[in-house]
Amino acid sequence: MASKPYRGIEKKQARWGFAFVVPALVFFSVFNFYPILNAFYTSFYDRRALSKLKPKFVGLGNYVRLFDPARAESQLSFYNSLKATLTFTLGTFIPLLVVSLILAIFISNLNSNKAKRFLQISYYTPAILSSVIAATIWMLIFDPRGLGNQWMNLLLNTPGVDHKWKTDPMMLQISTMLVYFWKYIGYFVILFITGLATIPPTIYEAATIDGANKTQTFWRITLPLLKPTVVLVSIMAMLQCLKTFSTQYMFYTNGSTRAPINVITFNIYITGIQDQYLGRASAMSVVLFVLMLVLTLVQFRTTKSGENIDY
Amino acid sequence: MQIQQKYNPLNLLVYLVLIIMLLFTLMPIVFMVTASMMTKNQILRMPFKWIPEGFNSINFTRAIVGLDGNYIYLRNILNSLIVSVSVAVSTVLLGSLTGYGLAKFRFKGRNFIFIMIMATMMIPFEAIMIPLYMVVMKLRIQNTYVGLILPFLVSAFGIFQMRQYLTTFPTEFLDAARVDGKSELGIYWQIVLPNAKPVMATLSIMAFRSQWDNLLWPLLVSQSEKMKTIPQYITAFAAERNTDEGAMMAAALIASIPMFVLFMSLTKYFIGGSAVYESRKG
Repeated sequence: MASKPYRGIEKKQARWGFAFVVPALVFFSVFNFYPILNAFYTSFYDRRALSKLKPKFVGLGNYVRLFDPARAESQLSFYNSLKATLTFTLGTFIPLLVVSLILAIFISNLNSNKAKRFLQISYYTPAILSSVIAATIWMLIFDPRGLGNQWMNLLLNTPGVDHKWKTDPMMLQISTMLVYFWKYIGYFVILFITGLATIPPTIYEAATIDGANKTQTFWRITLPLLKPTVVLVSIMAMLQCLKTFSTQYMFYTNGSTRAPINVITFNIYITGIQDQYLGRASAMSVVLFVLMLVLTLVQFRTTKSGENIDY
Repeated sequence: MQIQQKYNPLNLLVYLVLIIMLLFTLMPIVFMVTASMMTKNQILRMPFKWIPEGFNSINFTRAIVGLDGNYIYLRNILNSLIVSVSVAVSTVLLGSLTGYGLAKFRFKGRNFIFIMIMATMMIPFEAIMIPLYMVVMKLRIQNTYVGLILPFLVSAFGIFQMRQYLTTFPTEFLDAARVDGKSELGIYWQIVLPNAKPVMATLSIMAFRSQWDNLLWPLLVSQSEKMKTIPQYITAFAAERNTDEGAMMAAALIASIPMFVLFMSLTKYFIGGSAVYESRKG
């Protein structure tokens, strides 16, 4: 007697549960799964926006064009975009990782809780500004008469030298990296501090009793136990850097040359929206997607193995 | 131990590094504030003087009146507010509804649906913006709020957060409410939502910030001056041949003030938002 109405309730509940999930399901189908499939589909066509002609099937033509070695020499080729993105990603995430780890360890070892909190919040402050604003501030700092030259010349003791922050191709790349580094350093410091806090203090006490000095403790205890956080944070930072757009866009609109900062996302924007080559832009999108997918899968694997740490 | 640490010369180096980084992170922000009160010549003076010679409000007037003198910035601020608030509200509501459904109900395909939703986190927005742009063109919703908001209504990360949080919520409370004859929607609204406040705060701040910061999507959707958002307006200053630096900094400062206020009053949730990522491991 008891089982029948109970089942009825369970069925009714299941229906409610499904009903709660349906809106999100519809949303993701329309705004995530459909578009990514559409990107794959469009990447096989020569499709232009605003064109009356029917899209022409070109097979792998768009991809061949992207990776055509003959075009590699061209300043605005996709090859160059890959290179610019890679340079930016490595040049940003390695300093981010190293510096934020060092800062996190320094802050964690401070005695005063007030100082800890103050430093974390201060380092984090640039992150609350939007990317566009961060870029505008730094664009003024990088002006030939701006603070960037004044600081550099003070540091290097070279009065009156213009370091061409916005005009020299390499300096331009460094400038965009610096803006990004500045904006995200506090964020990563906090991630590392959170990671450090999960290491039980008893381990350090044991090490001190065993006579380990600070350097030994760092290399033998802190770093190995922090490895899951390090991997997680570095992949997250890399994913973030691969998607960079606003900073490069701002420098470009402010008059910098495009080639050194023509990162993939920026190239997609110019090719697809400004030049209206939707097929070609879709092929670039697919490459970006695959690139990030690989990284995400690596992240999943490493975070899974990170769970098995025993203290 | 304590005394030993205090006299360690290495500590001096630690303090030095921490202070240099403090200057590095804060000086550009101070620069924005002082520059917003300066004339062009003062901003680019060598050497730079950090203290402005009195408060100069002309930059703020020019920032608000705009390059064309049509006060479009006020409209753009309103647009950013409408978009950011709408996205924050829908992220929280749909995120909690879906998260609740996934956490507390058993139905066929539940795990599959959960995995599919999580899988969307691997699709970066930048890779689907071109197809989304085509959808927007087809639906003729360029230059509308709907067009600006639609792709961001639900966040997979938000659903995940909510699900994780609500899984630990005691089911007995829900069952008790059912016995009392409360409807399922009533239970969601009156019991589940009020108990998810910390996640709601973190998520809404995250969603609000991401739209306040968004440049790429408005760039595709909004071409008319009236429908542009704050980041687009500020970009226009940088694009001018004869950049009006002072007004640009004033516009930037105006756009940052709401964020500063939010950050000061809700620091915990800002910083919590980044620390929350750690829990993704679990």
